[in-house]
Amino acid sequence: MLPKLKHFLRESWLLIVASFFFGLLIAATNAALAARIEMNKITKLTSLATGLLPDAKGFAPLQEPFEVRALDGRAEPATIYRAVAGDETAGWVFRVTGSGFSDKIEMVVATDASFEKLAGFDVLASNETPGFGDQIKEPFFRNEFAGAPADHFMLANAGSREQYDSTIVAISGATVSSTAVVEAMNHYLPQFKEQLEQKGLIGNGNEP
Amino acid sequence: MVTNPDGQVGLYGDAVVNGLWRENPVFRMILGMCPTLAVTAALKPALTMGLCVIFVLVCSNIMVSLMRKGLRPHVRILMFTLTISTFVTIADLFLRAYVPRMSEALGPYVPLIIVNCIIIWRAEARASKSRLLLSIVDALAMGAGFTLALCILASIREILGTGKLFEIQVLPTTFPAWAAMGMPVGAFLTFGFVLGAINLITKKRSGG
Amino acid sequence: MDTILILLTGFISVVLVNNLVFTKFLGICPYIGVSGRIDMAFGMGLAVTFVMTLSGTLTWMIDHWLLMPLNLEVVRYVAFIMVIAAAVQLVEMYVKRFFPSLYDSFGIFLPLITTNCAILGLCLFLVVWGTGSLIEAVVLSFGGGIGFTMAICIMAGIRENLRMVDVPEALQGAPITLITAGLLAMAFMGFAGMI
Repeated sequence: MLPKLKHFLRESWLLIVASFFFGLLIAATNAALAARIEMNKITKLTSLATGLLPDAKGFAPLQEPFEVRALDGRAEPATIYRAVAGDETAGWVFRVTGSGFSDKIEMVVATDASFEKLAGFDVLASNETPGFGDQIKEPFFRNEFAGAPADHFMLANAGSREQYDSTIVAISGATVSSTAVVEAMNHYLPQFKEQLEQKGLIGNGNEP
Repeated sequence: MVTNPDGQVGLYGDAVVNGLWRENPVFRMILGMCPTLAVTAALKPALTMGLCVIFVLVCSNIMVSLMRKGLRPHVRILMFTLTISTFVTIADLFLRAYVPRMSEALGPYVPLIIVNCIIIWRAEARASKSRLLLSIVDALAMGAGFTLALCILASIREILGTGKLFEIQVLPTTFPAWAAMGMPVGAFLTFGFVLGAINLITKKRSGG
Repeated sequence: MDTILILLTGFISVVLVNNLVFTKFLGICPYIGVSGRIDMAFGMGLAVTFVMTLSGTLTWMIDHWLLMPLNLEVVRYVAFIMVIAAAVQLVEMYVKRFFPSLYDSFGIFLPLITTNCAILGLCLFLVVWGTGSLIEAVVLSFGGGIGFTMAICIMAGIRENLRMVDVPEALQGAPITLITAGLLAMAFMGFAGMI
């Protein structure tokens, strides 16, 4: 037993020592940078959200976690952020995920305080084809949603982009990506609206 | 013992020429193809990846060269892998902390540097057998060769694919961008043709 | 029923729509190197499928049952690659000893694929895709291997025919293989948006 142990140690002492040393190195780097990395994640969401709701001074996540159903039926955790301006709610901000041409499209969506109209959306992460599906990031497409009713959207092949209603004009050459955005909206908006209504944070039209 | 100053310089000069051209890891040895194809859609990610690889190569070569006397045959590859994965983890943490958008764009290809054949190749062929300074120079040269190759491919793909270089418009906007260049098709085709071109150049040089 | 649907779409997605070779650029080195003949290509494909399924499952388990609960995600990469290397080493010894005929058909490729980007790449993509359950991890890893096998066999078939054609000298070898791969990638683009 002992000679075997000695042999094992002789062969692998360097591996063991190195593992400790490298472990320390990783731990040290992680400790130094973890805070920054966390900040980066939150900053991206809030900076995009500020673009959509310029009046907001800050974004506070609602403490009670809840679940939404994703497009493929899976349950996933979701957070709604309340955009605050002084004492008042300036709007609501949350993440939606769509299924695009290549991979998922992650978007941040903002609505007004009563969840009646959309303030707009922006793209957090997407891998769509540059020059085609990628154009969902462009203002000309995104602006169609700004001021539109936070309700069911429909995709049209042609029409006026200036009308801020429930009809969205698809991007030519990027049907799948355009559809992905609209479908994501249609799938998630009702769920988030219901959550907020359940919590009594927005009126559901049945005011006494 | 007579030290031959020319021999010394020759050795280092050789390492540099090898890394940059004669044994260029991408174009002559055809190693590390996964990142080459994946991140060369534009110049910025290509440069970031190149710098990461240089960092990991240098650190790994330093470590391996320092440890070379204690390396046991059975655990060599494990030691190399452990070393490389540690430094890749550190590089990834730095990217996520300081350039989060680039880190997202590069995605899982940063940890894939661990299995980039170039790094293990240099650890095995050079750092485990040579003194510290030579290992460092070798790492820098090979890393530079890799970065150079990536930048050449990325420049071609970005200019033809979007008319921009490093996100600055260099071609007139009337140029019909070859969107395919940003997609896997463009990656394979560009790499194939550039390799063919280099074969042509080398053949002409050697008077074949 | 829901689960089966999710698994099926996941499988098709990773084999066709998000094929590891043509959309994620994984496993290019063996892809270029071993696609010369169909029998070798198939052997390589089998080996990759086997290692991939094994590694994907193991790393998923380690990630979800060890690293995440203990908040050790920062050592994820180190853990993954060490587990993959160790697992393949053990499997190779086992197969060599107890299934020598099986070893003959694909055993020689095993050491090659350990440090192959396809294996680690798939394990990392499982993390990126937010794979929620063990069975999903198994199905996706298996699908990844099947997709690779399909890609490499198609390429081998084409290359066997290329041998009879007059390829310009500068393009012989790796260049023409890459160009072919590019055209194949373009063909596979047709599957995009399918699910």
